[in-house]
Amino acid sequence: MSFTDREILETIRMVELETLDVRTTTLAISLLDCADPDLESACEKVYAKVVHHGKNLVRVANSIAADYGVPIVNKRIAVTPIAWIGAASGAEDLSPFARALDAAADEIGIDFIGGYSAYVDKGFTRADRALVDSIPQALEGTKHVCSSIVVASTKAGINMDAVARFSAVVKETARRTAKDGGLGCAKLVCFANAVSDNPFVAGAHSGVGEAETVLNVGVSGPGVVRSALARLGPEADLLAVAETVKRMAFKISRVGELVGREAARRLGTTFGIVDVSLAPTPAEGDSVAEILELIGVDKTGAPGTTAALALLTDAVKKGGAMASSSVGGLSGAFIPVSEDMGMIRAVEAGALSLAKLEAMTAVCSVGLDMVAVPGDTGEDVIAGIIADEMAIGMVNHKTTAVRIIPVPGKKAGEKVEWGGLLGTAIVQDPGAFGCSVFHRRAGRIPAPLQSYRN
Amino acid sequence: MPRRFLTAEDVLRASGGEILVDESTVVTPQAQEAAVARGIAIKTGRGSWKEPPPDRGPDAELAPRRPPNLPEPSDDPRLESAAIVTAVGRNRPGVLAAITAKIAEHHGSVNDVSQKVVEGYFHMILTVELPQGGFEGFKTALECMGNPDDFAVRVMNERIFRYMHRV
Repeated sequence: MSFTDREILETIRMVELETLDVRTTTLAISLLDCADPDLESACEKVYAKVVHHGKNLVRVANSIAADYGVPIVNKRIAVTPIAWIGAASGAEDLSPFARALDAAADEIGIDFIGGYSAYVDKGFTRADRALVDSIPQALEGTKHVCSSIVVASTKAGINMDAVARFSAVVKETARRTAKDGGLGCAKLVCFANAVSDNPFVAGAHSGVGEAETVLNVGVSGPGVVRSALARLGPEADLLAVAETVKRMAFKISRVGELVGREAARRLGTTFGIVDVSLAPTPAEGDSVAEILELIGVDKTGAPGTTAALALLTDAVKKGGAMASSSVGGLSGAFIPVSEDMGMIRAVEAGALSLAKLEAMTAVCSVGLDMVAVPGDTGEDVIAGIIADEMAIGMVNHKTTAVRIIPVPGKKAGEKVEWGGLLGTAIVQDPGAFGCSVFHRRAGRIPAPLQSYRN
Repeated sequence: MPRRFLTAEDVLRASGGEILVDESTVVTPQAQEAAVARGIAIKTGRGSWKEPPPDRGPDAELAPRRPPNLPEPSDDPRLESAAIVTAVGRNRPGVLAAITAKIAEHHGSVNDVSQKVVEGYFHMILTVELPQGGFEGFKTALECMGNPDDFAVRVMNERIFRYMHRV
C-alpha cells in the first residue's frame, strides 16, 4: 500500500509539531481476590498482585512508543475500589492499602495508581465509611495514589450525606497538604455516574463488570484539532468546523486503537476501551480553550462558549466512534482549568467565571476539574458546588465530576503553581453566599424521573 | 480454583519444612522472606516455586484464539512489517545512496520513494518492506545514521499511517 506524501507528512506534523500523543495506557487490575480478614495480609496481596501484573507495563508502553513513533506519555494502573477489598478486614483505617498501592507504583515505575475508591451514591457500608474517612491520611502519606468517590447517579440520586462528608475530606486533605498548595486535592475527585473503565486519573478504577485485567487507552490531541481549525480559518461555517473536528478525532482515536490493541497483545491481556477525550496539558498549544476560541468566541467563558463546547464534544465522539468500536471511558473534551493555558488566560482576563464553567460542564465530558478556590471557603459552599455539579450529571444521564482545591492561605485572584502536568491555577471566587441550611439538612436527593424528559 | 496467594501469615502458620502451592500461586515478597527466614521451602508439584506468568483471566485466554482480533484497516498481509522512512537535511551527492545502502544492509526492499530538494535542503520519503521481526534493528540503525550537521532520519511503523489514513 502506498501513502501520499501529504498523508505521511500530516502524521509526522501531528507528532512533531502538534503534540499528538497517547495520553495514557492504563492497566486495570481486579483486586477482588485480595480480600482477607487480616489487614496486613490483604495489603501484602494487593502489593504482590499489582507488581505481578504491572511490572511489564512501562517496558511494553515504551517499546510501542518506539515502534510507532508516537509518545505514550503516562503509564498507569487502575484497581478495584479499595473499599470492596478492605471490607473483609473490618479495619477502621484503610490507609495501609494506600501505602501498599503507593509502594507497588514505585516498584513498577508509574506516576499514578487509581482506585482508592468507594461507591456511595446510595449509602455507606462500614468499609466505605472507613475508606472515605481515611482519604486525607492516605493522600498525605503517598505520592502516587488517587482517590475517587461516587456520590451520585441517575439511578440512585445524590447522596447528600456523602457530599457533605466528601467536602469535609477535601478541606482536610487541603489542610494536610498545605505546604504543596493543597496538592492532595488534585488526586481526589467525586463522581456522578462514574464509568468503570475510565483510564484517566484521578478517577481511574476498575469497577463493576470489568474483567480480571484489561488494558485501556486514553488518547489526546487538542493541539492537532487546534491546528486543523486554524488552517480551516474563520470563514468556514459550523458544519465545516464540526466535520474538521470529527476527521481529526477519527485520526487521533485510530492511533489510540492501534496502541491499545498492540499493548494488550504484548502484555497478554484483553484490550478494553479507547477513551477519545481531548485532554489538554499545560504545554503551549495543547489547549481545549484555544480550540473554543478558534471556533469563534473571543475568550473562553464568553457567550457562545457552551454551544461551541457542545459542538466540539459531540464531533469528537462521532469521530471517535467511527475510529473504534471500543470507545468508552469519559470520551469528550476535558476542561481542567489549571492544566490548560488557554483556560488560565481566560480566568486571568476575567472571562471565565465559576458559574460559566459549571454551565460548560453540562455539555463537556467530565465536570469541574482542577478548580482552585480560596482556602477559607466554607464546607457548605464546597458541598453546594459539588451538589450542583452532581445534579447536572444525575439529571442528564451523564458523568460529571468535581476536583476542587481549596488552596490554603490563598484568596480569590491569587495564583498557585503546582507544576508538571497539574499546571498553574488562578484562585476563583465562589461568591459571597453559602448554603448552610441546605448543607445541614443532609439525606438524599431522590433519583429523577426517567421519562417525560424535557 | 487453585490457591491465589501465599502470604507471610500463611508461612508463619505452616508447620514442617515445606509448603506446597500451585504453580499459578503468587507468593508475596513478604512470604518469600518469611520462608527464607524460617528455612521453609516453597514447592509446587514440579519442584521449587518460581514466579508464574501473570494470570490475566478467562477473557485474555480467549483473545488470541479469536480470528485475527479485529480487521485491520485495508488489510494487506505483505505489509506486516513495513516502515516509512523520512529524512530531511542538507543536500549533498550520495545521500540517497547512503540511506538506501543502509536499508539494503537490513534486507529491506524499497517499495516507493520520493525526494525533493528545495534551496539546498532535501526531504525524502521511502516505504520499505522488511523481513519479519526486523523492524527494531532497522529503526535503530537508520535513526543512528543522522547527525545534526548533516541530516535526520525518522522511521515509523507503516501501521500507524494505515490506521490514520485508511478506513
